[in-house]
Amino acid sequence: MLAWNRSLGRSGILALLAGLLWCCLAGMAMAHASLTGAVPPDGAVMGAPPKTLSLSFSEPVSPLVLKLIRPDGQATALDDFILRDTTLDITTPDGLGAGTHVLTWRVVSEDGHPVAGSTIFSIGAPSKGPQAEGAPIDWPLRSALWLARIAMYVGLFFGIGGVFVTRWLTPGETPRLARAATLLGLVATALSLGLQGLDALGAPLAALFDPAVWKAGFATSFGATVVVLSAGFCLAVAAARSGSAALGRAASLMALLAGSGALALSGHASAAAPQWLTRPAVFVHAITIAIWIGALLPLAAALRGDPDVGRQALGRFFRLIPLCVALLVLAGLLLAAIQVRDPAALLSTAYGKVLLAKGALLAVLFGVVALNRWILTGPAAEGDCKAVRRLRKSIAVEILIVVAVLAAASAWRFTPPPRALAVTAAQPASVHIHADKAMAQVAITPGHAGPVAISAVVLSPDFSPLAAKDVTFVLSNAQAGIEPMRRKAALQADGTWLASDVVVPLAGQWQLRIDILISDFELLRLQDAITLRP
Amino acid sequence: MLKKTLVTVAALALGAGTAFAHVSLQLKEAPVGSTYRAIFQVPHGCEGKPTNTVRVQIPEGVIAVKSQPKAGWKLDKIKGPYAKSYDYYGTPTSEGVKEVVWSGGALADDEYDEFVLRVYLTKDLKAGETLYFPVVQECPDGMAERWIEIPAKGQSADDLELPAPGVTLIEAVAGH
Repeated sequence: MLAWNRSLGRSGILALLAGLLWCCLAGMAMAHASLTGAVPPDGAVMGAPPKTLSLSFSEPVSPLVLKLIRPDGQATALDDFILRDTTLDITTPDGLGAGTHVLTWRVVSEDGHPVAGSTIFSIGAPSKGPQAEGAPIDWPLRSALWLARIAMYVGLFFGIGGVFVTRWLTPGETPRLARAATLLGLVATALSLGLQGLDALGAPLAALFDPAVWKAGFATSFGATVVVLSAGFCLAVAAARSGSAALGRAASLMALLAGSGALALSGHASAAAPQWLTRPAVFVHAITIAIWIGALLPLAAALRGDPDVGRQALGRFFRLIPLCVALLVLAGLLLAAIQVRDPAALLSTAYGKVLLAKGALLAVLFGVVALNRWILTGPAAEGDCKAVRRLRKSIAVEILIVVAVLAAASAWRFTPPPRALAVTAAQPASVHIHADKAMAQVAITPGHAGPVAISAVVLSPDFSPLAAKDVTFVLSNAQAGIEPMRRKAALQADGTWLASDVVVPLAGQWQLRIDILISDFELLRLQDAITLRP
Repeated sequence: MLKKTLVTVAALALGAGTAFAHVSLQLKEAPVGSTYRAIFQVPHGCEGKPTNTVRVQIPEGVIAVKSQPKAGWKLDKIKGPYAKSYDYYGTPTSEGVKEVVWSGGALADDEYDEFVLRVYLTKDLKAGETLYFPVVQECPDGMAERWIEIPAKGQSADDLELPAPGVTLIEAVAGH
């Protein structure tokens, strides 16, 4: 107790002395200690947590704030440090995990003028930042959109396709189921416009009767699809009812072209680049599906009727279908390759999983088709009644699998393809900073936490290029307690200033300052906030 | 807490011996219409590197610059026209030294030195204001410390990261 008191007394005197010294010095000078080195060095990536942390300054300093900000944004105060001449040796806290850490400091040197900064180091690899959580999903609307999409596909492929096949390939009337599918498709397509509007506005299913919702749906790229597809369904209805064979054929062909073309007007696949390739590929994919799938109902009907007629139809079907399926698969694989890009995305994204499910269903479907072709078709064509019955059953199974495939494809309505995800992730965060003497257009690419590149174009207020000698980016995050981190930029051939070795440890709002050295004696500072995604 | 206090004391005690961390003028006040000895105190180099060159920009209104040579340093005076003509004891003066450069020296990061100019502060300068002399310290490998920031209105030099050294101007001495 006595010892403690004595030491307290001594420290009190020392504090007084320090205060006096401080007063004298503060009046005389404005000193800035500057960081001369850090261990681990700023921006270092290391295999294991560092054994010690140290900061060296141009003169002795006293820390006011010493914090380590971990990859999850949690700050740990670093209380255990020692000053050796001008170097602060800091004991590394326990339990440092992988990711980017920020050592942030605010020190005071002889004049009591605080100086602050941050250095970062990464263990393992720089953090990429946690994944963002999306908006809550409106399941009733999503289900309605999905069912409408399935009904639309059923209408297009079984309905329009069926009408086309009965007009061109098989004799007789359009099967009743194909006609029903056409009407179903027409209704579903019209309804989809409203559902699309709800989705675009983020409105609930109950708002379906609001005209604004339908207007919004029409304004999306899906609006054009609805118009053309509805026209296709109307043509198909007319083609199925037409008494004139020539008129019926013409109308059914136009319905097929309109229906397939409608799909190429909107959707993920049609939106992908290069469009000169993706849009025709979508069209070919759709039209070949329509012919193949469209043939199933008429074929089943033909097999039920006159055996000779059925046999003829079967023969035509199997001459045409291999070509159809080959084109279909080719266009499908091409689109999948463009959309998925990286095979790893097949398992890591929802889009990829749907594609795998669709592929598995298709494999089963092709198995059943092969069974038809090589085992049942021969005897059926020769008039084997049992084989005919089995063939019809197998066609029914095919139809069910096709509906499942269409259901899977309809789920793509909700899964952005990896291509689009990659584009979104790479989207830069940018800010335009305007001041009296200069302005800058700054981009942080990609615009999320993790390793990024900061680039800036600096201009005079009259938009002419500003000849700068040097540009430095200074990032700080007051909310997370991260003091300024400085990164020098290099001038690129195209006139932009680029700092590519930057790791932004946390998402959220950062203060970005650009120090532009105009001449040896003139420095401009521009500052604004910039927000980085998680 | 005790530890922190002790560290502060240590820092301050050590600091007392090493003088100022960034370039500053030793004489903080000077009357306008008089000769002023501008003594630039250079306390360190660039992040551990020695200073090879010290450049001082002469502000408008400061004329008749005479620089003091230093052993081991090459001295250059860059001349040019002033923004206007100034009166130097009855003689109009419209051009003179705009920048002084001491180069070819080596002032280690842990050393201290002074660089001296004798200048005339014309009466066109306003008493009550602070006159700033931007200074650049150049070091090897293109590194530099630039004490070139001049506070904007409402700012103090303490707000700046790289404040230029300044001298407070006071009224001309009567009878001069």
